[in-house]
Amino acid sequence: MSLTSFIGAIELGLVYSLLAFGTYISFKILNVADLTVDGSFVLGAAASAVFTFSGNPVLGLIVAIAAGALAGTITAVLQTKMGIQPILSGILTMTGLYSVNLTVMGGKANIPLLNKTSIFTYAEQLFPGRGYKIAALFIIIAFVFAILNWFFRTQLGLSIRATGDNEEMCKASSIDTDFIKIVGFSLSNAIVALSGALVAQMQQSADVNMGAGMVVISFASIIIGSTIIKNKNITLGLLSVIIGSLIYRFIIALILTTNFPPSYLKLISSLIVITALSFPNIKKKMDVRKLERRRLHAKN
Amino acid sequence: MLRIESVHKVFNKNTPDEFIALKSLNLSVSEGEFVTVIGGNGAGKSTVFNIISGSILCDSGVVELDGTDITYMPVYKRASYVGRIFQDPMKGTAPSLTVGENLIIAYMKSMKKNNLSIPSSKEKNYIKERLADLKLGLEDRLNTKIGLLSGGQRQAVALVMATLVKPKLLLLDEHTAALDPVSAEAVMELTEKIVTENNITTLMITHNITSALDYGSRTIMMDLGEIIIDVCGEERKKLTVQELVSQYK
Repeated sequence: MSLTSFIGAIELGLVYSLLAFGTYISFKILNVADLTVDGSFVLGAAASAVFTFSGNPVLGLIVAIAAGALAGTITAVLQTKMGIQPILSGILTMTGLYSVNLTVMGGKANIPLLNKTSIFTYAEQLFPGRGYKIAALFIIIAFVFAILNWFFRTQLGLSIRATGDNEEMCKASSIDTDFIKIVGFSLSNAIVALSGALVAQMQQSADVNMGAGMVVISFASIIIGSTIIKNKNITLGLLSVIIGSLIYRFIIALILTTNFPPSYLKLISSLIVITALSFPNIKKKMDVRKLERRRLHAKN
Repeated sequence: MLRIESVHKVFNKNTPDEFIALKSLNLSVSEGEFVTVIGGNGAGKSTVFNIISGSILCDSGVVELDGTDITYMPVYKRASYVGRIFQDPMKGTAPSLTVGENLIIAYMKSMKKNNLSIPSSKEKNYIKERLADLKLGLEDRLNTKIGLLSGGQRQAVALVMATLVKPKLLLLDEHTAALDPVSAEAVMELTEKIVTENNITTLMITHNITSALDYGSRTIMMDLGEIIIDVCGEERKKLTVQELVSQYK
């Protein structure tokens, strides 16, 4: 692996760990696979690209966060107030967002940002050298990490964790679980949109199709992380997400150094998630088999 | 304190499965009373509890708690007045949160704390003391995930959660039925201790006729959506288990 692809992997791992923070909230804490992510990621990228194009990259990030929060709110309202199944709610918002994203991008499928000033341009002036993107991303992630780590210890944050765990108990403890889910999903998608916004500025373009498969990529990061740090509290949980995201990007970078066709990358992401999610079940069956065989052996 | 007036509830209305769960039920419970509720399956005991706690709504009638009409109040709102413990120990606590976090949620919520506040060490100490009152050694396991505790321990924690701040009304829905005899006895004794020490108005459903008569100050028996026996004081003391069991048919 060359130094360039090594640095590239760290950059991607960091920027996509924000995406994984977002889905960690919906998938791990609220216990729902939220497919809004594929749309809200692009929404963030689109908003960020439009503002960066007109010379306001920082404002682009802020608008992206707000837009992502709104997308999450819509999914949560569909789930709670309208009674639509959680998975379907996400799919509906994601599908609707495709049109919204195209509109935000002025009807174009792609916004190129070559030679535009982005937050990474500022970072380059602040931190001379090859690691300026890493430095900028590190600061942003440390900030988001600190906020989340604090938030999930507050009354509201604890209520979100409890709602994903046992909704009935929360209602019985006078927690308005509908409101809690709205807060959780909007927070989740706000962070996802921030991730998309940063990706657009870092890669100097936004594409209306760049969100495809983001849910699976983030699940892969979360799962890889959770195999490395087990039985965790919220701090370790968030840390494991960053580590998982970095490892995932190194795996991809390693694959890209071989002759393997890059078009298979999404398939590999899916396989990682399938293997990780099915592993406990398959292991259980294998253990039973082993016990059976041992007993048979003892009898003979 | 609690006043239920002409509460009527029909399930599966206008279908062949129509079932009258409650027939214009009237029930008044005064402050500090500990009422045990018995009756066969389908008598309407759980329906009364569900209507009081708001998880189902009645077709007609009024439910009043401490002078406030709560008939149509959403579950989470009335939950700050009504504590409820279920038969299933898994229902009352969040398994992947720690013992401490579960209690903190119940405590902060009933104290109406700001959503973004973090529990202070004073609040944590209060919770620890209340856990120590149980004498189960759980105060040393505040950082244990509650899913790792036994059913009896979880029910004991649920009891503390429901009574950390004195509720206006405590509903116990066969809360010892899923426990082994020793744990059931222990949880029952803790219940009586907490309820009498804090003078909490309590309704307890049980299928154990002996505990229905041993605990509490009043016993009601339901059948087909009506209250058929309502005894307290001397009359209740004279009542035997056999007499009550014979009423089941």
